[in-house]
Formats: sequence, structure tokens, C-alpha cells
Amino acid sequence: MKKVIIASLLIAVTAVLATSQNPVNLYGRAAVGAKGVVAAAKPEASQVGIDILKKGGNAVDAAVATAFALGVLEPNASGVGGGGFMIIKLAKMKEAVVIDFREMAPAAATADMYKYGDDGKVIGNASVVGGLASGVPGEVAGLLYALDNFGSRKLKRDAILAPAIAWAEKGIPVTVNLAIIIRDELGKINTFPATAKIYTKDGLPYELGDSIKNPDYAGTLRLIAKGGVDAIYKGEMAEKIAKAVRDAGGIMTAADLASYQVKVRKPITGSYRDYSIISTPPASSGGTHVIQILNILENFDMAKYGDGTPGADHLWIEALRLAFADRGKYMADADFVKVPLAGLTSKAYAKELAAKIVMGKAMGSATADDPTRFESGSTTSFAVMDKDGNMVAVTKSINYFFGSGVVVPGTGIIMNDHMDDFALKPGSIQSIEPGKRPLSSMTPTLVLDPAGKPFMAVGSPGATRIIAAVAQTISNVIDHKMSIQEAIMAPRLFAMASGTVQLEGRTSVNTVKALEALGHTVNVRADWDSYFGGVHAVVFNRATNMLEGGADPRRDGQAAGF
Amino acid sequence: MRRITVLIATLAVAVSAVSAQATAAFADRPALLTSIGQSADLEMVKVLLGRAKIQFASDPLVKAAGLPAGARTLILSVGGSSKGLGAAGISTDEEMARSKALIKRARELGMKIIVIHVGGEARRGTLSDAFIEVCVPAGDLVIVVADGDKDGIFEKLAAPTRIPVIKVAKITAAGAPLAAAFK
Repeated sequence: MKKVIIASLLIAVTAVLATSQNPVNLYGRAAVGAKGVVAAAKPEASQVGIDILKKGGNAVDAAVATAFALGVLEPNASGVGGGGFMIIKLAKMKEAVVIDFREMAPAAATADMYKYGDDGKVIGNASVVGGLASGVPGEVAGLLYALDNFGSRKLKRDAILAPAIAWAEKGIPVTVNLAIIIRDELGKINTFPATAKIYTKDGLPYELGDSIKNPDYAGTLRLIAKGGVDAIYKGEMAEKIAKAVRDAGGIMTAADLASYQVKVRKPITGSYRDYSIISTPPASSGGTHVIQILNILENFDMAKYGDGTPGADHLWIEALRLAFADRGKYMADADFVKVPLAGLTSKAYAKELAAKIVMGKAMGSATADDPTRFESGSTTSFAVMDKDGNMVAVTKSINYFFGSGVVVPGTGIIMNDHMDDFALKPGSIQSIEPGKRPLSSMTPTLVLDPAGKPFMAVGSPGATRIIAAVAQTISNVIDHKMSIQEAIMAPRLFAMASGTVQLEGRTSVNTVKALEALGHTVNVRADWDSYFGGVHAVVFNRATNMLEGGADPRRDGQAAGF
Repeated sequence: MRRITVLIATLAVAVSAVSAQATAAFADRPALLTSIGQSADLEMVKVLLGRAKIQFASDPLVKAAGLPAGARTLILSVGGSSKGLGAAGISTDEEMARSKALIKRARELGMKIIVIHVGGEARRGTLSDAFIEVCVPAGDLVIVVADGDKDGIFEKLAAPTRIPVIKVAKITAAGAPLAAAFK
């Protein structure tokens, strides 16, 4: 009997272990489709987008439905209480547009609103946890603006929101990834009873195999389906949101919500080896610096250096350092500050920066140069492309996992903590001002092939690492001829203007040693580390005339196609 | 097949329960809960203790010199987190030194020590294992969520001094043996 008990226990334990590896698997993340492909951070969300395409919706319809579904299926990353950016290029459009639905600082916000303790940290972590961390959310305004202005109009708003509502009612699966995130954020979640009520089992985290229902959020989505933007930004709901934020120590008012504005922006554009890069301008720094980094690397034969070699990784590190030095000095909300965008994305400026790179020695730290001389004039990301050549990439976020931790009681809405993306002290171009948008790194990006035809839609979560992840994925495809799935799975690296270089664990040992010999201080992280983002992308393969979606195993990515 | 699965599951739960009851209550109240490795797992242990109605104080960074005079049992929530160490502003070496000094002082004061690992497989690896190696041999009881002991590290470290190791299938199941350990 004793043997049986031991054997049974072993089997039971093995069963648990067999399903708790992270990443769960590396296969089957990609998808191919002749008519349409959606690549998102959850398989169920990708399928929502595909179902909308099958019903006759266009890529924007599919993107908006996927976006609302991600707010349910990946609640730690984005939702009605957050904001983001969407880049759209429909086949009939000459120019792409960027819909900026980034959060805005409340009217009562000031540059010195966060107080510092003797330890040099913000007292009570108030820029990250609680009401004071929340900017005025833009998600619903942005998504519905896209639907109303760029959707097919074949599907009504309630049809677009129906899948998200269904998932909120039915319950979402707790994956390894979500279980770990909830465990890690349990302290924040349990601080707020309305949040703990949804995302814990009486204070303990949901575990692998459980499902989480959010009927209050389903109710909120129903209100949006019926009443549109006003259901969130005016009346009873606006009062509820503002009250919940203020009750948690914040300063938001219903008037802040009523005055929220979506911005429709001209994308930032550049090129890389004859491919056109179309990306996100400020209030995101992402697109500008992706173009700047690629411009710097264009001065080197990256294909010849090879993928993941010491030379290639050294060039990436130095290019990232140079770009991030400029980011710190010049980047902010361009509605408030003059940002030298043309200079930062100039090929001539990039050539000067490239000349600073010495192949035999690490620069260690970079200082900002002067791009004005060349002037002439925490998140989820997904991509949609269809057979007609319509392209959409969306990156949206509530910032850190589970945002500020504040759930608006009775609505299921998790409020963002994007105020933390401002410089938290006065005196910086990125300091807080009323109505200003905090600087973002979100980089939904479109790439056209040398013939000007749709080629790639791509984006990633991952804070500042977004910039490196998107640039590396584009380079992997263009320079190293990888498939989009290979490009996503390849080991990544990250470096800021100074400090330790972060390398993903699968980086070759020889490369690690060679980089150290060059003078780089490196930290080798986990083999598959979500620190490096979660790229989701779709590529049009002209050779096969098929759309190919790639998704990231570092999170729960899974593409779908038909 | 379904019957066999149900039988296996029932037996597994039974084994956990039997193990939990097999350890006689030995720990006195009040308890002091601390983190060894600064992972967020401490929050889960707090909830488990609260549910079990065990009187405790929590100080994730308590030092040997700061052990409260009245505390009779030290609960070590073990699990390393680079993020947690960074947020606390301490290095791995400093945390290791604090842990060793704390355990030594607790022993000098005659306190009982319960080691608990609820982070599962995700809370293993080089960083966590270094802390586990320090804690487990010093414990009077070790409670571990089973998928965190895939390689048997807890049992291996506990074996030389015959420290009881209770494995539970889920985090929620860790509350029962924890409660049973207290007089």
C-alpha cells in the first residue's frame, strides 16, 4: 500500500510538473493564412481577430475586437483603464496614420506631485501603486475612434465587443505565465479589495488550470457596446472612475475624463536597406529610436557579421547606447516640447553616430549628441494583416503588471500607472504637466518592402526594451533572412546609454566572453526571458503569397490565420 | 481511466494530509515571518497564516539584532527574486549574510524555524537555490509546494538531519500543515 501511495503521489506531482514549464512550448506559435493573420499575446485573442475577419470585417475591425479581448484575456497588461498606440495602413490609404490614445496627466497634476523619502525613493511607491499613479485612460476613446473612422462598418460595435464580453463572463484560463504574474503582484493586488476580489481566491493567487471570471468587466464592455465613448468618459461611469482613483489617493476628476482627447498623428518614417519603416511618433519615443538604431546599423554589413556573433552584438549594444543617450535628452510629448524628430531619424546624423563606434572596444557609456543640426523641417502588442494589404499594429498597456492595482469597484476596470513614465521631478523635458502625455516606448510599426508593398506589421511590450526588440526583429528578418517566427525566437539583448548589458540566456558562450573582452559588463538572464518583451508580428511572404504570423513564447503568444 | 485518475488524485491528497498530521505540533506563538531572498511569495504565506489564525508579525528584512524578544517561531518564506532584492535595495550577498545571521540568532534564542517554499518551479534556479541551501538544514519543518521540488533538493538537504518535509500539491494546501505545526 505504501508503494502505491508513493507511486500515486509521484504521478500526481509529475502531472503538475508536466504542465508547469515556462515557456510551455516553443512549437506551434506561428500561423500561416492566405486571407488573414492575427498575432497576439493570447491564442484566444488572435482567434477573436480571425473570427471578425471571417465575418467580413477588415483589419481594423479585427484589431479593435482583438484589443478589447486582450483586455479580458491578458488583464495584467492592458485594458479599459489604460492607453496605447495604433498604427493603421489600409490598402486604399496613401499614408499610414497613428492613433495616439496614450494617457494624459490629470489637470491637477504638477511636476512635484510625488514626494521623495530620505532613501531617494518616491514615498509609498505612489507613482506605481494607488490612485496617484494613474493617468487619464485613453483606450476606449482610441479603439472606438479607429473603429468609427477606419473600420469596415460592416460589423456593428456590439459584434466587435461580443467576444470580449463572452470571455469575461466565461472566464479566462490561468496559464503558467498569468499564474506567475499574479503571484508576483499579490501584494499589490491584495492592497485593494476590489482587485483582490477578482484576481485572487480569498487572497491567494489563482493557479495553473483555474479560470478567472470578471462579470463586472463584462458589464462595462456592454455599456461601451451600447453607449460608445460616452459610456466611459461621461456621466456615472466617469464619476465612478474618478472616485475610485481619488479614494486610492489620486487626483483625477470626471472633468479629466470628459476632456480626454485622442490624437491622430502622422507616423514617423525612415528606411532600412530599401525597406520603408513606418512607426509611432511622440508621445512615444519608440518609432523614432527604432529608425535611429536601424540607421546606425545600416552603416555596417550586419548580414556579414552574422546573427548573435560578438561583432553583431557589439554593434547592437553601441547603437542602443547612442540612441538611448539621445532619448534621455530630447524625447518627450511633442505637443509640449520641440523634439528634433527629423534630426534623430536622419541618415547623416546616424552616420556620425556610427563613426563613434569602435569595433575593438566598448564605449561603456554614451552621451547625447546634437541631432538639431540635422533638422530640416509592462503592455501588450499585436499585429493584423489581411489579403487586401491592410495592416494594423497595436501596442497598449496599463504599464506595470496590474497597473496601479486599483480596480474601479463594480466595473472590473484596472487603472493604469503610467504617471510613472514621466520624469518624476521638475526640471526635465519629460516632467509632469497637466494634460501632457508621459513618454512611451511603445512601438507599433509597419514595414513596406522595397517595392512599397505591405511587408510586416510588428510590435512588442517590454518598456524600454520594446525599442530593441522591435529593431532586432526587423533586422533578423531583413539582414539574416529569418522567418518571422525565427526572428522572434532568436536571443535578444538590451543596453541603455550606460550600465550593464542584458543578454538573453541562449546567447553563445563565446559571444558572452568576447563581449566581456571588449569591455562590456554583461548580465546573462534566463533562456527565455519576458524582460526582453513579447514580439508579435505578421509578414507577407511574396514567394508563397501567404501571410505568416509569428508569436512570442516568452509570454503566451500565439498567432492564428485562415 | 477516469476512476484511476480520481483514485490517484484522492491518494495524493490523502498523502499530503497524512504527512501534515504526522508532524506533531511543535511551534509556539507568536511567529515572525520573514523573506529569505525577497520574493513576493511572502505575501502568499501571510495570507495562509491569516487564514490559519496564527498570530504573527511580518518583516521581510528583519535582521538578527532586530528579532523581537517575544517571537517564538521564525517562519522563513524562501525564494530568490532579483526584482525583490533590487526593490529592497540589497545585494544577493547582503541578503545571504542577513539570512545566515538571522538563522544563527534564532537558534541561539531557542526559536523554532519553519521553512516554507510556495513559489513552485518558477521560484527555483540559481538564485533561489542558494537561499534554499541555507534555510532547509536549519529548519524544524519544511513545507514545499510539490512542483518546486522536482529534483528533490528539499528532501536531499533535509535528509541528513531528518527534518520533516511536507509536500503539498497546491499553494492553498500549504495552510493545513502550517497550522498543524503550531501548538
